Amino acid sequence: MAGKAGATPTTYAPSPTTQKTKSLVFKNDDVDWVRPDKRGFQQCRPAFFRTGAVNAASGSAYAEFGNTKVIVSVFGPRESKKAMMYSDVGRLNCNVSYTTFATPIRGQGSDHKEFSSMLHKSLEGAIILETFPKTTVDVFALILESGGSDLPVVISCASVALADAGIMMYDLVASVSVSCIGKNLIIDPILEEESCQDGSLMITCMPSRYEVTQLTVTGEWSAPKISEGVQLCLDACSKLAKIMRSCLKESASSLEE
Amino acid sequence: MGLPNVSGDFSSEMDVDAFRRLFPLRFYERHLVESIRPDARPLGRARDTTLALGAVTSTDGSALAKIGLTTMLAAIKMEVMTPSIETPDEGCIAIDFHMPPICSPLVRPGRPAEAEPVVSKQLCDTILSSGMINMKELSLISGKAAWMAYLDIYCLDADGALFDAALLSAVAAFSHLQIPVVSMNDDGRVVIISEEHQEGKDPVNKEKRKLTLSSIPFSLTSILHKKYILADPTAEEESIMDTLVTVVLDSSGRLVSLYKPGGTVLAYTSAIQDCIALTRQRVKELRNILDEAVSGMEVD
Amino acid sequence: MEIDRIDERTPNQLRPLICSRNVLNRAHGSSSWSQGDTKVLAAVYGPKAGTKKNENPERACIEVIWKPKTGQSGKLEKEYEMILKRTLQSICILTINPNTTTSVIIQVVSDDGALLPCAINAACAALVDAGIPLKHLAVAVCCGLADSGDVMLDPTKLEEQKMKAFTYLVFPNSVFSVLPEGSLQVEGEPVENGIITSVTQGLMSVSFKFVQVEDYLHCIERGRAASAKMSAFLRRSLQSQLPSDTLKAG
Repeated sequence: MAGKAGATPTTYAPSPTTQKTKSLVFKNDDVDWVRPDKRGFQQCRPAFFRTGAVNAASGSAYAEFGNTKVIVSVFGPRESKKAMMYSDVGRLNCNVSYTTFATPIRGQGSDHKEFSSMLHKSLEGAIILETFPKTTVDVFALILESGGSDLPVVISCASVALADAGIMMYDLVASVSVSCIGKNLIIDPILEEESCQDGSLMITCMPSRYEVTQLTVTGEWSAPKISEGVQLCLDACSKLAKIMRSCLKESASSLEE
Repeated sequence: MGLPNVSGDFSSEMDVDAFRRLFPLRFYERHLVESIRPDARPLGRARDTTLALGAVTSTDGSALAKIGLTTMLAAIKMEVMTPSIETPDEGCIAIDFHMPPICSPLVRPGRPAEAEPVVSKQLCDTILSSGMINMKELSLISGKAAWMAYLDIYCLDADGALFDAALLSAVAAFSHLQIPVVSMNDDGRVVIISEEHQEGKDPVNKEKRKLTLSSIPFSLTSILHKKYILADPTAEEESIMDTLVTVVLDSSGRLVSLYKPGGTVLAYTSAIQDCIALTRQRVKELRNILDEAVSGMEVD
Repeated sequence: MEIDRIDERTPNQLRPLICSRNVLNRAHGSSSWSQGDTKVLAAVYGPKAGTKKNENPERACIEVIWKPKTGQSGKLEKEYEMILKRTLQSICILTINPNTTTSVIIQVVSDDGALLPCAINAACAALVDAGIPLKHLAVAVCCGLADSGDVMLDPTKLEEQKMKAFTYLVFPNSVFSVLPEGSLQVEGEPVENGIITSVTQGLMSVSFKFVQVEDYLHCIERGRAASAKMSAFLRRSLQSQLPSDTLKAG
């Protein structure tokens, strides 16, 4: 057939390589630079949530933070895999994958093992697993477009989807990350900022209970910077949880009508 | 479901939803006798269809298509390749269809859905044999560089007629495609010219920013059941009645594909002609929907 | 309107058919089918207990595994598996052995065009050999469409590449019946005119007022004529081998 080569030829993206020059801009003038999207250092991107994005699932949510767009579907509680042993508490099964076009350079679109296990860890503590013994709840996430802070968005979106599916939780799980660039802490970093960060910190927490379900710190951090970053994240999480809650309330009230 | 007389004598003793789950085929046949479907559609009518172009900003062309609840996201990324020796001035298209685990309870991670490679292959055959895209338009420098268009289609919500929705999103993504302006740099690589600094390089493809799409293919899947023809089936309908016919016609009315993979119902000439007639109507609808979506983009 | 074919066949002429059954020892049923230089081996195992996940346990389940001549199976093989599975499902009586799985394994020996129809014919003969209950047999045929609009039956690989379009058609075989003439008609057409499977590739066009499907209808017509001949051949070759069955049983 025309245009269908037997073996796929090697290809490359024609995007210009200007990444290096940009990271210099960030570092040199320490205080005065502005973020690429003109936000303040401690200002999050506008968050948008919508439940019921996927009808085939028992619960689902779509989240959009700037260019970061994710969909999370929740299936179950349903029969566990046959190979699984008996368990008197429910099981949680998480999977995160990227589309091939999510990243600026076309990827493979394969499963992201690290994110899958991190998503599992951050949700595990919030779900009341005793309510669905012997069965499994599946939480599947697809990152449609990667625009930075992908994992925190996936986690927050997953907890909205779980609530939409009617899975019992102690509280909603909200997640926010900060990047450390030079002397500055910037919250909710975008892809460009993440690519030149010195360190990053992510918190997932249950704001109403003031409990942290997961905390990851990577890169270069000083002790006072860490506690500053944690505080920043916790404040942002409680604000984010309000947005998530209002989204759920809205969908619930529209159901009633 | 809003049709009290359909369930007749049964309704008094059994809840309609219970009847639907226990005797799905009989539930459907009661409706078909009345020429109506449980979602209140006449047999020959397709579900509401919407199209949104430019859903994914990081790609060169993208579209989100919804037919009823079935949702497809298609996006194109352009990369550069060295054309093969046999066709030095032709580009290439690589089409892939994905069913991520989010789209249906039947798909599990790590185990690709059965339909995935089949729909992928069908899309590939349909788009290439329809001749919608002239591969010569994807050429940059004869023998040296040509475009490889990677088209990836993701099913976000699976509720029947997957091929129809996938094909619609694919053709819409191609009509939204904006080819980046590129030039050859000193190392012989093709790079995008950013708008701020043009560096005095001559762009290779100043005029060819859009593809001319000749004869766009559109499709309609129908179910054959007894003497009935149900257009644009939902996932429930597909699971109950097993004979599917997919007809693809292009905008100039030629038959691109007639696909009937088995099924218990045999297709006779009259049924085939009816399916084609339904598709012909549907092609007009889809054409309008695509045209509206494209002209909507131009206003912005 | 006569067009030259490389092997000097007439447009309506099929390549020589060879069908032999019970070619494999360990399989419950097997056959080899060749059309000219295209040759396919089919083996049937089963019915085995239990059905796969996502299959209806109230019916017999059919599983098809397609082995290409060389290399691993890709998208094309997966598509063929699906088409073959659905085609065989439609001719088998699935209610007789519920909650069982019958495996059909197709091994391509050589491919010289019309591969899928050849595999369908082989699978059908292998099912008969294995004694799987069938409603009727199926005969598959490939119709190629030349640029001039002429239909050529059973094209070779070389011809397939030159063709602007081709279609694979599967029909039920003609039924011998004691019932009076005409009682086996559906909508005024005999049963064997119904299409079980249709797969097309390439554009079909003729200048016609509204929809240009004439090419396709033309293919169907020729395909039907050929399928009658093929079903006669299939019947003959299955009957001639029946004595061996009784020997095997004894």
